[in-house]
This record gives sequence, structure tokens and C-alpha cells, in this order.
Amino acid sequence: METMMDAVFELQDGHVRLDGREILHGIDLRICPGEVVALMGPNGSGKSTLVRALLGLVPLASGRRSVFGSARFRDWARIGYVPQRLSVGGGVPATVREIVSSGRIARQSRLRPASRADRAAVGRAMAALGVDHLAGQSVSRLSGGQQQRVLIARALAGEPDVLVMDEPLAGVDAENQRALADTLSLLVGQGHTIVLVLHELGPLEPLITHSVVLEHGRIVHRGAPPEPSGECALPGHDHVHPHAEPEPVSLWRALVGKTGRH
Amino acid sequence: MLAYDFMQRALLAALLIGLAAPAVGTFIVQRRLALLGDGIGHIALTGVALGLVTSTSPLLGAIVVSVLGAICIELLRTRGRTGGDVALALLFYGGLAGGVLVTNFAPGGSTSSLLSYLFGSISSVSEQDLLVIALLVAAVLGVLVLLRRELFVLCQDEEVARAAGLRTGLLSMMLAVIAALTIVVAMRVVGLLLVSALMVVPVAAAQQLTRGFRATALLAMLFGMLAAVGGLAGSYQFSVGEVNISPGPAIVMVALAIFVLSAAGGFLVRRRHAPSLAGPVMSGGGPVSEETS
Repeated sequence: METMMDAVFELQDGHVRLDGREILHGIDLRICPGEVVALMGPNGSGKSTLVRALLGLVPLASGRRSVFGSARFRDWARIGYVPQRLSVGGGVPATVREIVSSGRIARQSRLRPASRADRAAVGRAMAALGVDHLAGQSVSRLSGGQQQRVLIARALAGEPDVLVMDEPLAGVDAENQRALADTLSLLVGQGHTIVLVLHELGPLEPLITHSVVLEHGRIVHRGAPPEPSGECALPGHDHVHPHAEPEPVSLWRALVGKTGRH
Repeated sequence: MLAYDFMQRALLAALLIGLAAPAVGTFIVQRRLALLGDGIGHIALTGVALGLVTSTSPLLGAIVVSVLGAICIELLRTRGRTGGDVALALLFYGGLAGGVLVTNFAPGGSTSSLLSYLFGSISSVSEQDLLVIALLVAAVLGVLVLLRRELFVLCQDEEVARAAGLRTGLLSMMLAVIAALTIVVAMRVVGLLLVSALMVVPVAAAQQLTRGFRATALLAMLFGMLAAVGGLAGSYQFSVGEVNISPGPAIVMVALAIFVLSAAGGFLVRRRHAPSLAGPVMSGGGPVSEETS
């Protein structure tokens, strides 16, 4: 039975293997209701894989996962997933309203047409993200920041308790990043739990209650968000960290060493 | 031309397929699997040949083999290490070669019996054929309407669909099977080699003019029916004396003509609206000239 004390996500000794290579080596992670957790780390550290493991999108090679205290979680309407995507959409155009409406999928039945509650939730989600004036536009013609807001609105339309976002700041300009931070702080105020994969904290920093830093598929730091320092904190630093290059790893180690908390 | 029974049946068959093929095609194109129809079409040829060899129904053979082939493509695409395009290519060649080879085993087996399936034979649609076509089209459209939301999410982003708790494997399989059934139905009208054109070209034409998925699907269905009827009527009108125009290729050419027209139309519309999108927001919508500012 679910109780108030149940963690939203809990992973015990989670190992994930993809294409024969172990990506995550024994992750223990507990995310509680109301927390705003940033999963950080250099490229290739396994942070996106960790999020996908929490959501059950990749199988665990070993270990235990539970969502809202249940190992066989089925109530997916409670979780809104915002994938990392700079360009949304497939080969056929879709309007902003169509994309956002599709976020209701876990709350709709096959036979019934969209209800008044569906339309109201879609309207609220578009308004919250400031994309309501774009409702009839084709998503593929919007800017990266606008597309990101549409994807978040889609997740919100399902009225989830938890939002899981993979790199929501990627490809979004500074002004839109601040707008996004304002929106997220509203959602935090409403009691949402938020899990973010982030490359940099940016304007989201004040919202984050916990941060988890990964390196080579292991958690190397957890607790308060590490202070950005050095090269990464400089404005205009282009956050390109090629895989398997020693420099960004040592940078993270420096960050972790500085805060000194494991 | 409607004085003839065979033309009435041909026209009905063409309309039904012109409606169903772009409806399925919209989801297939959205999933960036535009060539899926071609792959299944080639496999269906082996089914036709098996039907001919065993002196049973080529239609039944095509249905069974193409549905199995569609399931194979899905499994290869999701489970195997081959990419979607390679999986399709394997089945293209296997289906075509298999079809010709199997036909060689038929009593008096000449590959010319395959021709009517390769390029369509709509004027020979019997009443029973028409009934089968109508039932299959109804089934395909029914499934699409029932699963439209789930298929939209699936074709948009498979990972998001899984995170929403949808059974993506089953849904993908359903879509592939529906595509296979549509292809077998359309085989009589445009032939297996051109079948995919009727799934893809009306969708490509429609999206030149639309912004949304629903609008694209509906316009593509309209274009599909226009092409089917236009091509059929054209082939009837222009077949005089020695000249005999095949309806299948004529339908595809009309669809392509519709594409060229909508591409041109879409270009003109976007060019007219481009200045107002780039500039400040204006209530009038058109570009503001020097005098008004």
C-alpha cells in the first residue's frame, strides 16, 4: 500500500546494461515527494540512463526499482515525462494544441471523445507555459525554447504529481531559461516533485533542493547543489564536453572536492 | 462511364482505397517509415504467388504473408540489430525474389500472371472482391479511429508513449498489421509496386498546406480519393482504340500532380505570410507598407 512516506522513486543497487556495456554500476537513489532533484554530471556519466531507469524505460540488469512504493507501478498519469528533444514531431506537422493534448493520454479512455476536463487541463497547461497564443501553430516552426515549453506543457496537461525532465535547458536561450525557472518555481509551490537532468544549474539553481552528481555510472556526490566555479561558471562558456575526455571529469571532481560532501 | 457495372465497382473500390491508404499513411509518415508500405507490398507478392501455386486465393495468400511480413519487419526493427531501413530492404528483395520463384513452380507458371498484381487490375474487381475491400477498409478505419490518440503519441515519440504506460510493442504491431491489410486491399487498385504511393503521396501533398496532424490526415484522405477517382476516370477517358491506359499508374500520376500543385500553393502561401511572421505582430496580417507607418 502506498503511504504518505513512500518515495516517489527508489532505486536500490541499480545496475543497467545497454548493448552489453554496463552504464550504471549499483545506484542507490531515493527521491521523496516535494523534492526538486538535479541529476548532474559530465556527458556519458549515465544521468540520462538513470532517469530512464527510474521511469522503467530501460530494464535493470539487477537491483530493485519502486515508484510510489510499488515495484509494479501502473498509474503512469501521475508522472509527466519531458524528454530531451531539440526538435519535436515526426514526419507530419502537428499543432501545439495537438501535442499538448496528447499529454492527456494516460487519463483518457479510448471510446470517449475529449471531455471538458481534458480541454480545460490542456488550456491550463498551455497558459502556464505561455504557449496558448501558439495553439494553432505547427510545432516544427517554433524556436527551440518554445518547443521545450510545448513539451513541458504536454507533460503538465496530464496533471502529474511528478515531472521528470531531461535537459530542459538545452537549446534554450537565457531569457527563456529564466521564464522556465519562474514556471518551475510555481509548480514547486503547488507541491510537484521535480526530477531534472541538468548539465548546468543556470537560473534553476535556487529551486534545487537536492543534487546528485554522477561520474562513470556511479554517484559521486549527493546533497546540496555544488557551487559552480572556474571555467563552467563563466558566461559564454560553451558546454561542449566530448565523451571520454579527461578534462570535464576532473572539473567535476574539483566541484565535488570543493563542496566536500559525499 | 458509370453505365458499366465493372466501372461502378472499380469506382467504389478506388474511393474506398483512396480513403483508407492515406489515413494509415499519415501515421506511417509521422513515424518516418514512409517506405514501410513498399516493403510490405513486395512481401505480399510472395503471398500472391503462393496463392497462385496452391490454386487457392491469391488475395488470401497476400493477406496472410503480408501480415506475417509486417510482424517480421516490426520484430527486426525493434529487437534486431538491423536498422529500420535495412530491415525493410531485406524484405523488399526477399519478397520480390520469392514471389517470382514461387510462381515458377505454378502449373504452367509464367510470371506474367503476377503482372496484374504488380500494377493493379481494378477493372476486374468482382462484387465479392468489392465486399472484401469494403470490410477490410472498414476494419482499418475502425482501428485507426479507436487507437488514434495512442498511435499519435507512439508515432510522435515512442519513449514518451512508454513513459505514459502505453503498450508500444503491441501498438506498433497493430499499425504494421493495419498497413499490411491496406496494402493487400490497394493491390487490386494500383498494384503492389505502386501501393505505397497512395499511402505516402497524398500525405506529402496535404502537409504542404496544413499545420496540424488531424488536418493533414483529413486533407490527405480527400486527396487520396480525388487521385483515385481522377486517375480512374482519366484512364477510362484516354483509353481509345489501341491505347490502353492502366488505372493504377494513372492514379499515382494524379496524386503526384496534386502534390506538385499543393507544394506550389504552400510555397506561395508561406511567402505571402513570411514578412508578417518575421516583423512585429500586426493585426492585419499583411506586410505594412511605408505609407501606413
